[in-house]
Amino acid sequence: MVKFASKKRWADYIILGLFTFLIFCFVFENYIQLPSIVAWLGRWHPLVLHFPIVLLLLLIFLSLTKKRISHILFLIVTISTLITAISGFFLGLESPNKGDLLIKHQWLGISLAIVTTIWYWLHQYKFYNKLVLSGIKIILLFLIGFTGHFGGMITHGENFLAIPTNTENKIPENPIIYRDIVHNILDNNCISCHNPNKKKGGLLMTNFNALLKGGESGKSIIPNNPEQSELIKRLHLPIENEKHMPPEGKTPLTNNEIKILEQWILLGALDTLKLNDLDENTPLSISIKKMIRPEASNTWESLPKVTDKTIEALNTDYLTIKRIANGYDALSINCYLPPEYNPKPILDLLPIAKNIIELDLSGLPLERNEFEFLATCENLEHLELDNSTLTDAYFSKLKRLSKIKSLKVYSTKISDKSIDVLNSFENLTHLYIYNTEIDENGLKKLKVEKPSLFINKGISEAIYKSLELENDSISKKLP
Amino acid sequence: MKDKNKKAESPLKINRRHFFSQLSVGIGSLALGSLLIPDLFKSDADTLGGLPLGIPHFAPKAKRVIYLFQSGAPSQLESFDYKPTLRKRMGEDLPDSIRQGQRLTGMTSGQKNFPLMPSFVDFKQYGNSGAYISDFFPHIAKIADDICIIRSMNTEAINHDPAITFLQTGSQQSGRPSMGSWMSYGLGNENKNLPSFVVLTSRGKGNSQGLYSKLWSSGFLDSKHQGVLMRSGKDPVLYLNDPDGLSRSDKRHLLDHVSSLNKLHHVETGDDEIESRIAQYEMAYRMQMSVPDVMDIKKEPESIIKLYGEDCQVPGTYAANALQARRLAENGVRFIQLYHQGWDQHGRLPTHMASQAKDVDQASAALVMDLKQRGMLEDTLVIWGGEFGRTNYCQGNFDPNNFGRDHHPRAFSIWMAGGGIKPGITYGETDEFGYNIIKDPVHVHDFHATIMHCLGLNHEKLTYKYQGRRFRLTDVAGNLVNDILT
Repeated sequence: MVKFASKKRWADYIILGLFTFLIFCFVFENYIQLPSIVAWLGRWHPLVLHFPIVLLLLLIFLSLTKKRISHILFLIVTISTLITAISGFFLGLESPNKGDLLIKHQWLGISLAIVTTIWYWLHQYKFYNKLVLSGIKIILLFLIGFTGHFGGMITHGENFLAIPTNTENKIPENPIIYRDIVHNILDNNCISCHNPNKKKGGLLMTNFNALLKGGESGKSIIPNNPEQSELIKRLHLPIENEKHMPPEGKTPLTNNEIKILEQWILLGALDTLKLNDLDENTPLSISIKKMIRPEASNTWESLPKVTDKTIEALNTDYLTIKRIANGYDALSINCYLPPEYNPKPILDLLPIAKNIIELDLSGLPLERNEFEFLATCENLEHLELDNSTLTDAYFSKLKRLSKIKSLKVYSTKISDKSIDVLNSFENLTHLYIYNTEIDENGLKKLKVEKPSLFINKGISEAIYKSLELENDSISKKLP
Repeated sequence: MKDKNKKAESPLKINRRHFFSQLSVGIGSLALGSLLIPDLFKSDADTLGGLPLGIPHFAPKAKRVIYLFQSGAPSQLESFDYKPTLRKRMGEDLPDSIRQGQRLTGMTSGQKNFPLMPSFVDFKQYGNSGAYISDFFPHIAKIADDICIIRSMNTEAINHDPAITFLQTGSQQSGRPSMGSWMSYGLGNENKNLPSFVVLTSRGKGNSQGLYSKLWSSGFLDSKHQGVLMRSGKDPVLYLNDPDGLSRSDKRHLLDHVSSLNKLHHVETGDDEIESRIAQYEMAYRMQMSVPDVMDIKKEPESIIKLYGEDCQVPGTYAANALQARRLAENGVRFIQLYHQGWDQHGRLPTHMASQAKDVDQASAALVMDLKQRGMLEDTLVIWGGEFGRTNYCQGNFDPNNFGRDHHPRAFSIWMAGGGIKPGITYGETDEFGYNIIKDPVHVHDFHATIMHCLGLNHEKLTYKYQGRRFRLTDVAGNLVNDILT
């Protein structure tokens, strides 16, 4: 007797302790950071969760059939529910962004644990209000069902229990270009009309062979020849044209999507080609990556690590290195002209060349060595070389800097010979070239290649002329 | 026996022993849980709660600010807030339904009536955005598509000193750090040879109000963040030059020795201000080399002189300061604050405002265009505006050709350009009398929060603990004006 009573008491304490702990965890969730060993406990959640599901259902079943419930069963159910909830909480902390599902699952789970504990206490205190008890049982059944269902969806995918249909494919790491990319584009834009049920214009786009076969207007795709392919031709027609696809009123394809189709056809329209078969810098590969990860600008995440000590050591009185923002290894560097110029501080930056995103070398008497160093700064996005000793010969060394977005080369000797290099900067959006030797011809060439590039050639003549016009209207009006 | 007693007890009747044992379990599990919270019992770092100083909190759009402060409060009704209704109802008394009990200054509170006074000059629409700009500002009109006009600024103060202090420091009472000092504190120097916060002043012919160094004081922040006033003329920074006969190497020796003595004293007292002083001596030493170079506008080509106007060759003018501001910005100064005095038009508004506008119009526009052609408008935020607005009714005699306007805190217009601000838009709206804001108000705190955001700073995170409380530029207010951010 003695033994049993003290055991029961201890069990109550355990339940009280676990319960308090659980509530605490949820209230202070945002402040909690798990040590790895505790996080590891969370990994047991998928195992232990089976106990409360089965046992709780059994318990409810027993009590509904008015069977005597043994105290020990009640105890095990409550403790296992609490442990499952806590371990689930630990596991949940591991995911940085809790999705909708996880949040639902979490709150249902904690409710389940709380209700079970309440039931346990009511039972302990011999509380026999029938209405309340059956209410609790119904709530519990409901909670078990939904918690379990959402939990299952988290582990097995949202559509695991859905009735099988044509599910949207997630693009895998190394996609087969036809199956995962091209078909996807067609599926989103074309297949609603070109399917076995509708088959507009006699064209079926649901599978590879049918796509190649074409429709009433002939072959839709001519491998290696996008210009002649009906599919591409129609994408490029003006939107008012009746033959433009998709027809007016439907969302047209994005430029990037069109580019992918074109490039894929240019490379032979193969259904076996994979992304990794391509060279990294081919247009198709770039476009596909753009489609998979539209926010490619967050490449700062993958820069090599730089310590504050390194930054500190490379800083000089005339060269300032700063992180672009707290927590990033992306660096912004400004150089100023010292009384006596010495290239060493710049050349010393070589170990962190890949981390340099913004670099201001304006007004410096730069020489060959500095430009050779500059060529290694492959992640540069903003480069200022204005008022420096930049020449076409030096500039040609920078061809590899494909990530440059904004480039300032005004007041330098750069000329039309550098247009090709400028054209090779795929990501260039802003270019400042006033007071250079680049003339109209060069500009024209540049505009053909890069129609959307913002080019600033300085303040226009018209503005200067307008400065001379006196504003008489005011002075006349004045008393 | 004991157990039998226990069984007889009602479970709801908790005795002291039960209470304590259960309490200990409860507290024990709370304690266990609290072990999962790192740094629970560590006090916050004194400054930023873990965020390091000198680095933006997130990737910034703007790296520096040029604030063209129009001291004295230019009339919004003669600049950017077009109100044709005032012409229609000219001379009518300001309806009480519009005034809504607004307090007045002592200068007009005695007036028997408040006759509505329309703009002295006409407005036209400019640029693709069709922004309304008055004929006083024909040059700013040319950059209409580069600027964002905010017509819904509002402040709490009604007199110059508190209002300008409020705009500069986020508080009407003096003693807080100036905006530029906060930026210097949060972002640090870009160029170690120049101060990060520089002030340039100029004065027009209009009625002006005082400027005092408290406006660019660093308040309780380290004194190295204080704004450095650069004067016009031979000595831009006072006492920067060495006396005759002192060579640069002598100076170096002197500084090294003084600094070693100062360090000894610092070890004794632990006063951080000593370290700032050492740093400032070093800064001054380097500024001896850098300042003359930066301030020398002789190297500027003729086209630039033409752009800013001939005045820019006359030291001490607004135009000269605007050009100087660009040179300082190029050389990595974080916050360049210009003040142009003389906008306090209580009387003779037409003539005085015309002359004030003439002082600043061309150079302000030139600055924006010049920054743009250098690609610096991408990462430089330019702000133009005063400390409050002016009344829509006339002060003194009702004479459409020679009238004045009193102070009006409820609505005024400013413009911003570059660094993270949408170009070519007009934001906010006042009622048809130009008296109350009816859409998208921007309070001074919101203005500060937005500027800080452009610079990559979270206005709620940049704090400084002083006298037991953490201070911010925006104190306990401030909402980002998201609609004007790019």
